[in-house]
Amino acid sequence: MPLPLEGIRVCDLTWVIAGPTATRVLADFGAEVIRVEHGQSVDAIRLGRPIVGDHSTLNNSGFFNYFNRNKKSILLNVRHPMGTDILRQLIARSDVVIENFSSGVMESWGLGYEELKALRSDIIYCAVSGFGHSGRDKAFTTFGPTAQALSGLTHMSGLPGKPPAGWGFSYMDHTAGYYGAIAIMMALHHRNKTGEGQQIDISQVEAGIVLTGPAVLDYTVNGRGWRRAGMPPGNRAWEPAVAPHGAYSCAGVDRWIAIAVMNEAEWEALVRAMDEPDWARDPKFATNAARLANQDELDTRIENWTSEFDDYEAMELLQAAGVPAGVCQKASDRFERDPQFRAGDWWTSLPHPELGDADLDGVTPRLSRSPGEVRFASPLIGEHTWEVLREVLGMSDEEIAAQDAAGVLM
Amino acid sequence: MSGPLAGLRVLEWCDELGQLAGKLLADMGADVIKVEPPSGSSARAVGPFVKDTPGPNRSLNFWYHNTNKRSAVLDVEGKNADRAAFERLAEDADILIEDRMPGTMDGLDLMYGALSAMNRRLIHCAITPFGQNGPWANYRSSDLVALALGGPMMMNGYNSEDVPGAPPVRGHGDQGYNTACHYAVQGILAALLFRDRTGEGQFVDASMHEALSSTTEVGLPYWFSKRQDVIRQTGRHAAAQRTDEWLHQAGDGHGIIIYGVGRDNASWKKIKTWLQSEGFGMNFDEPRFDDPKARQQARGAPEAAEIMAEMGRFIAMHDAETIYRGGQERRQPWGAVRSPEENLADPHWSDRGFFVGVTGEGIEKPALMPGAPYQFSATPWALRRPAPRLGEHTGEVVAAASEGRWP
Repeated sequence: MPLPLEGIRVCDLTWVIAGPTATRVLADFGAEVIRVEHGQSVDAIRLGRPIVGDHSTLNNSGFFNYFNRNKKSILLNVRHPMGTDILRQLIARSDVVIENFSSGVMESWGLGYEELKALRSDIIYCAVSGFGHSGRDKAFTTFGPTAQALSGLTHMSGLPGKPPAGWGFSYMDHTAGYYGAIAIMMALHHRNKTGEGQQIDISQVEAGIVLTGPAVLDYTVNGRGWRRAGMPPGNRAWEPAVAPHGAYSCAGVDRWIAIAVMNEAEWEALVRAMDEPDWARDPKFATNAARLANQDELDTRIENWTSEFDDYEAMELLQAAGVPAGVCQKASDRFERDPQFRAGDWWTSLPHPELGDADLDGVTPRLSRSPGEVRFASPLIGEHTWEVLREVLGMSDEEIAAQDAAGVLM
Repeated sequence: MSGPLAGLRVLEWCDELGQLAGKLLADMGADVIKVEPPSGSSARAVGPFVKDTPGPNRSLNFWYHNTNKRSAVLDVEGKNADRAAFERLAEDADILIEDRMPGTMDGLDLMYGALSAMNRRLIHCAITPFGQNGPWANYRSSDLVALALGGPMMMNGYNSEDVPGAPPVRGHGDQGYNTACHYAVQGILAALLFRDRTGEGQFVDASMHEALSSTTEVGLPYWFSKRQDVIRQTGRHAAAQRTDEWLHQAGDGHGIIIYGVGRDNASWKKIKTWLQSEGFGMNFDEPRFDDPKARQQARGAPEAAEIMAEMGRFIAMHDAETIYRGGQERRQPWGAVRSPEENLADPHWSDRGFFVGVTGEGIEKPALMPGAPYQFSATPWALRRPAPRLGEHTGEVVAAASEGRWP
């Protein structure tokens, strides 16, 4: 089947996670993504655990493989004038340039937007940085957790009266990358209509604040912030305020089920699923307002019930009764037990010279006519240098060998 | 200047799950008509409300997720005439986004198969908790349940010694719905670019479960490569083994995220000078602190423990914002743990024009809210109109549909 982004070439200068997430999306949908890598300053994720084997070879990171499938890699010494020249030629033949350096790095290479435009008039240039390319703090830098902390997302995750639990992974690396992919595809559509390219500036922290909109409005309209007693409310509902709503322990070690009763019908369904215990008919649980007022006791009662059950068994029982409920799944659960993923052929495995048959997940969402596809595993560092120089830049083998001998392709 | 999606006609039938997808398109110029039942989208009943008074036009959650859309009340499930009007709109639309449970659109004969026979350019995106097919397709979900099953929740929480018996924790802000919509829009745009090339529309099956499972960073790679599950930790990444703490409490009680202290000599010198300028870490000049290996927590050297203990005292003497800015000025990617509204006071966002004023029922002057997630040089994000009142545009939409044209 055809791929939706066939024919789109991306000059990918990104590293670590946020930028590579954006180009993973584009590559999954069929864009030709060419990673420009540097032997003197390698992408730290090539060293990132988990690695297969005892020591890093730059090509044995499962972490790198996850974010860089479907991409090509060239090695280029951009500190060498001839290396910069090759990069310029590649940009001239690309539809998109994306980078996630600190603000100012591209300009220092002589590759600011104006220079990029001179190389290719309709170029789409996307920069993903911590604070954006304008504003007084544009030189400040982030990792995912920094962006989560500043945006408010870390504070919004935790039990009341405890330090923040935060996000146990770089949610904002993923999400800044998603906004990057979305922005690039919107700009490509605009270019298809008008022939006009443009520059896109994404701040990872801003993208995080975008995900807190109702909380910000509660402050600007009602004067109520999230730093007050009882906030953040853990797994209890903020808005809409409903109960019961939480994660309850099940039989076994560290097994949990999430239950979210959103209305009276679902409360009745929960009571039925629990076999109509007497306590559930107490007036203090008769309405949502009453349940909210008596949440501590309600949660204890429900947990007494769930703790007798295997988590999947409890989920099936509750779902059959019409209660929104789901196991808190670990990676092993998703991969080994989750029947939804299995039925959807969600997991694939692709050969990789150093990782062996490397597992990967699928491409979502699923397009009926031109679905995305996991076509090949992540590239070895510099795996496609010759191929790209030959086929994209039209260089002869002799020319490439000369560049190689001059120390440009490293 | 208008957005990159100017001229695109979008029909949206979404509640809490899918409404952000429509907003992302509308904010970039698409003409989005939101179809609502007579009682209004259920999202209008989600608080907080203006001055805590519920009402169909007073939900701040709805205000935020429905900017730049028009609202038409159509009783698609109850009245034949309204179903027919919906069908006529779909005939003229470029994109249909809906978040009905699987089977609902089929039951109304409004599924892609039927609609595409009238409009082969149509891109029909269905956003559902688990996708159109499979054993869980009809499972009930919510933001909490989705974050549990998809995997993110099991990575957030506490070390057992910090909070014994603590459950996995859901980060707030409806991030399950948000992530479902981020992926749905990626799919819609990929389909749009395919249509630009071929003229053909298609069906886009967007599963929140798949989107969330693909948003768990190191969680899956550890299982893929090592058959190991990561364990959750207080205020930092879940990992295969316990790792160094990042989260510290500053003097004002706010959290501050610190990492990489002493990792390399250049940054160590800057941090050391900073501490010593205020009388902290005066023994850090001893040669035993000169080796970067001795300064790394993970290696268990006594010097590393001494450094972090002194950092802790230093941090406790300052507020989180001072440590954040002081660290950043010394090239450290540290961050204060802010409450979301605290960003309103940061002038960096004003420099970028990030927060925008929005109007609505019950407020006298515009209230600020987050604006663009991206700045486009040629076709910028714009707030052209606030979220619509319930049925604000019903008249013009119904009239146009009855004449067989897009309103």
